[in-house]
Amino acid sequence: MKKSIYFAAVALLAAFFSSCEEWDPVFTGKYEDPGTYEAVTKTPNTTIAELKALYTKTGEPVKIDRDILIGGRVISEDRSGNIYRSLYIQDDTGAIEIKLGKSGLYNDYKPGQWVYVDCSGLSLGNYSGMLQLGFQDPTGEYETTYLDVDYLIRAHVFRGQMDAPVTPAVLTENDLKTALRNIPKDPRFGTLVTLKGLRYGCNESQYSTATQCIFCLIYGDAEHSKEKRIFLSDGTYGVTTWAMSKPGFIRYLMAGNFDTGVSQDGTLKISNPAVKEWLKALASAYAVSQYFLMGDTEVQVRTSGYARFADTQIDPAVLDGTATLDITGILSTYNGAIQFTLLDLDGVKVH
Amino acid sequence: MTRKTALTLLSLLFCLALSAQTGGVKGTVINRSDRSPVADAVLTLYSGAARIGTVTSDAKGNFQIDALADGMYDLVIDAPGFMQTRVNVTVNDGYVKNMFNISVSPAASLQEVDDASFADFDFDGLGYDDTPTILYGQNDVFNETASYNFSSVRFKARGYASESQDVFLAGVKMNDAMTGYTPYSLWSGLNEIVRSQDATIGSELSDYGIGGYNGLVNIFATPSKVRSGTRFSLLTNSAFYRLRIMGTYAVPENDKGWSYTFSASARLGGNDWVQGVYYRSFAYYAGVEKNWNDRHRLALVSFAAPGTRGAQNGSTQEVYDLMGDNMYNSNWGYQNGKVRNARNRITFEPVTFLKYDFAPSNTFSAAATLLFRGGKNGYTALDWYDAPDPRPDYYRNLPSYFYVENKDYNRQNYAKYMWAREAWETRDPTTAHINWDRLYDVNARNPQEYGNRSKYVLEERRTDQRDLNFAANFKWMPDTRWTLKGGLNAKVNRTEYYKVLNDLLGGDYFLNIDQFAERDYSSSATMIQNDLDYFLRHGEAQRIHEGGKYGYDYYAHVFKQEGWASAGFTRGAFQAVMGGRVGHTGFWREGLVRKGLFPGLDADGKPISYQGQVITTYDAGGKAITSYGNSEKANFLTYAGKLNLSYSIEGGHRIFADLGYSSEAPYFDKAFVAPRTRNTLIRDLSNVKSLSADLNYIYSNSGYNLRLTGFYTTIQDQTDVMSVYYDLQNSFGNFALRGIDERHVGMELGFEAPTPLSGLSLIGAIAYGDYIYTSNPTMTATIDNSAEVIFDNILVPYWMSHPENGKNVKHYVSGTPQFAGSLGLSYFYNYWFIDADVSYFAKSYLDMTPIRRTDAATAGPDGLVTAEEIVDMARQERFDPAFLVNFSIGKSWYLQRKYQFGFSLNVKNILNNRNVKTGGYEQTRMVDNTVSHTRYYNFDPKYFYMPGFNYMLNLYFRF
Repeated sequence: MKKSIYFAAVALLAAFFSSCEEWDPVFTGKYEDPGTYEAVTKTPNTTIAELKALYTKTGEPVKIDRDILIGGRVISEDRSGNIYRSLYIQDDTGAIEIKLGKSGLYNDYKPGQWVYVDCSGLSLGNYSGMLQLGFQDPTGEYETTYLDVDYLIRAHVFRGQMDAPVTPAVLTENDLKTALRNIPKDPRFGTLVTLKGLRYGCNESQYSTATQCIFCLIYGDAEHSKEKRIFLSDGTYGVTTWAMSKPGFIRYLMAGNFDTGVSQDGTLKISNPAVKEWLKALASAYAVSQYFLMGDTEVQVRTSGYARFADTQIDPAVLDGTATLDITGILSTYNGAIQFTLLDLDGVKVH
Repeated sequence: MTRKTALTLLSLLFCLALSAQTGGVKGTVINRSDRSPVADAVLTLYSGAARIGTVTSDAKGNFQIDALADGMYDLVIDAPGFMQTRVNVTVNDGYVKNMFNISVSPAASLQEVDDASFADFDFDGLGYDDTPTILYGQNDVFNETASYNFSSVRFKARGYASESQDVFLAGVKMNDAMTGYTPYSLWSGLNEIVRSQDATIGSELSDYGIGGYNGLVNIFATPSKVRSGTRFSLLTNSAFYRLRIMGTYAVPENDKGWSYTFSASARLGGNDWVQGVYYRSFAYYAGVEKNWNDRHRLALVSFAAPGTRGAQNGSTQEVYDLMGDNMYNSNWGYQNGKVRNARNRITFEPVTFLKYDFAPSNTFSAAATLLFRGGKNGYTALDWYDAPDPRPDYYRNLPSYFYVENKDYNRQNYAKYMWAREAWETRDPTTAHINWDRLYDVNARNPQEYGNRSKYVLEERRTDQRDLNFAANFKWMPDTRWTLKGGLNAKVNRTEYYKVLNDLLGGDYFLNIDQFAERDYSSSATMIQNDLDYFLRHGEAQRIHEGGKYGYDYYAHVFKQEGWASAGFTRGAFQAVMGGRVGHTGFWREGLVRKGLFPGLDADGKPISYQGQVITTYDAGGKAITSYGNSEKANFLTYAGKLNLSYSIEGGHRIFADLGYSSEAPYFDKAFVAPRTRNTLIRDLSNVKSLSADLNYIYSNSGYNLRLTGFYTTIQDQTDVMSVYYDLQNSFGNFALRGIDERHVGMELGFEAPTPLSGLSLIGAIAYGDYIYTSNPTMTATIDNSAEVIFDNILVPYWMSHPENGKNVKHYVSGTPQFAGSLGLSYFYNYWFIDADVSYFAKSYLDMTPIRRTDAATAGPDGLVTAEEIVDMARQERFDPAFLVNFSIGKSWYLQRKYQFGFSLNVKNILNNRNVKTGGYEQTRMVDNTVSHTRYYNFDPKYFYMPGFNYMLNLYFRF
């Protein structure tokens, strides 16, 4: 009997210790919901237009060594995968791309949310006509590089209050023409806009004699060397999707759509079955620019092969010219042309 | 009178007639701690100082010394692993004096520290699945020292993988049916219960089965085998958990033949060395046994070790150096300021068995056990969808991702490197640890139609076994020369592998889609579905709530049957035992959900379509690739044979040799290309063959104990599978290896020698071996998302060795030091014991990955293999040797001759050596975007380290 009492006493002691949740530094019970982030409120001392004005000469990125704080609302969303590792914010004077270098940014930065950027220590650079805010690239390969490092991002980029999403400005063809004359500083570049009444077709392409075309660059080797690149331009190649995922690319390739393609050095001819098999083995997702006309101004809608809507067919009525498009997205420029980035297919309306 | 009774009577009379002629002494040597018989005890009889004679106890502990004149004698009993014992014997009137049971105590150091040593069994919860392959209490002079002194560096006896050791409980083989892993976690915390066991080493034959090349241990676990009495212990230590409370109450058999045993324990808290690791583990045991006249025994037992434990993770040396701590654990982070571990083992796997023992005579016994293992076994991990990798030591979060001195790495941003470095070096909690608060924030701010869709969740990977076993064995000694043993075993196992959503982390639901499939097939509605049938029925992906199954779900079915027999022959000092077994193992996979990537065929054998398009996919042979339903069955004939020879020489010498050959089925977990997604078996699966021989010398006399062993083992045709990210294809791949051969050659020496100072003895152990790979396996790789073959049956040319400076450098089996030695002094006096020893470990190697040892990886993108590339990609890391000092002290007191109270304090790694690697593995990933485009570089390996100075204090109370 006595033994049983001892036994019960120890059992009780064991029960006591095990129910005592916090006797140890390791907390092993239920965890409380930590709640959401604390929004930061800051007062910008510089507008985005003023920031962009600091950039004066192509090829010379500007390392910002002054206390410059900009603020704006988020206009980009990488949920669909068409924007990758970048965030666009817009204030009353313009918008700018911030090269954060993280994927899934929409998880932390929501459309309409205020974001403040302490620019001191960051770099302002130009990529084919678009001004970007990023970090200095010592290799000189690009004018700026991604911020990448969490700690660096947290030191410079602050998440503010949620606000109403920015309403896209509806631009006219004249606006586009004006913008093209003011590369890279035109305030429209990088902003959220709507373009209306686009027809399928091209006219200003330097390579093209065709009236409808795409642009796509395919790599002919794993190293992405320049001489093995294959350019698909000068026609549509029957590409009727916004872009090509890896399986999408293989489908087009094996169907013979790209048989006229030849690498820059002339050594790879896609019509050769061995080359075709080689490209199939190398296959990846490929970005495609589908060319449209607004009036007579060419708008290249460039879509990443990693976008979820890459393999979505463009409305046949648009392709055959019986319907026009209204598109909403981010206005950009690439080598002197208007380029356009859709956030997702909600930004496409067929008329 | 039956004929049998008559025979028995006759033989009794015969014995009496024999014994009446001269005087003598007989009895049985038993182990004081568990009453089990002690074989091979050397009994020396003295008359004053004169040595009269020596005998050795038999397998049942029996001995007899005849032809003694009347008088007073001293009987000295020496048994390996036990304290020397002396008893006085008086022989009168020419009778043989029956001393019945002479109990001997396990060697003092062992008896007092065993509680503490057992805590090492808990290692398996700390992150990687290896358990000690050295057993405690084997009464073997080498294993005793090795088990305690070598365990902290994860020494594995003879370099064998832990699954090669057969672990039996109540006569039933308990090794995991899926993996073969030793199942110690099933009874961790029940140390008092499992202490009583019977073990063989190497290729020795056992009473419970034939076993393999790495010994067999049978844990009795029936109530009558538990040391009776009441025992409590309280243990605290700094390397595992703060507190262990354990109580055992064992009632010896009463007049009616009933005995009961109960035991319970709790292990709680974290430790001083690894942040985030904690125990909240319990254990219970209840057993009842009824004995009918020592002829029939029936025992019913149920036990389990339910609990939750936080696991540890390995990191690269870069991370350890940044944190200034080789014990850094990347598995945890702060949530609301509290430490939370993402990787928790949550287990509750009760074992219940019914055991029947039949002992109709002294020469025949038999036993049968029916055992069931059930319950659940979970392991949590973070899972996420389309959001950044939340693990703090993910390679893109480390300074080396931004800058490496070698320009060819294409990582030259020193400023970013400094930012990343500062974050780590300042111990920024959101950099160095999981940022739980952010995960909750992301989940709570992702409103969708049905509420907040979680982007980060805690998944729980479940391996729930239903394991039913039957085992029966007998032992028959038809005469004094022959011993025949045999038995039958059968196992039926159905294990369900699946994921459960453990915690939504503040969100409302998670979507049951495959984000890795989505990388390639984002535009396909069906291919991304983890549960295609749900999608086809509802037109949308399944929403998962807490407790819901998701991801994958399949059964592994395993059947095993086996029969075995052995025959032993004894003539004088010579003993020979021969045995063999033959059996069948069969298994198959049964998919419980249809995965979008591999829909297979419908119930009528027709392809599956969606929106008019066939979505069933086919392999190169034109067979539908299937995730749902039954796979082909794999069947294997298994067999083994063994021969043991032994010769005893008067004075405590014994020489014995063992020879064994076995052919075993591969395990389920290494038989399918990608069991989570499809039914595809690895092609041409074959048995694993092993051949093993050992030669041993044992000396046990007058306080001296020694064992010297030489062994030679080859293991052939092993397989391995892994699913990892393959940089050269930029996708996840499944890799199946075949034809892995190993050779283990080496020696073991254990000794114990008394010194002129009474109570002080010298104890040592040395294990030295060469455990190498002797083949280059072949490898087949497929893309995880499509089952498309990347390469088929290619040779891995730099697996067993690689050329370096004109020489061929061998590659070694990892996971253990191949050289381990320890030397110590043990002092025992008046219930005090003090033990101090130094240990040295060397020849430990990093675990290899085959992927970097292929031609494609060594050649690099330019296709040219250079000598430098081979060395950089294929060289195997050898760990630095380590030197450790340990110390133990203990004392026990008897109060009123009834209560025993004692303590033991073990201090390990007194020199606080914090640079001892206990294990690690190569990462499979490679840096492939180099500037030169001529070669690849390896990702850094991940390591596990041993804790520095640590202690374990145990207080116990027994009555």
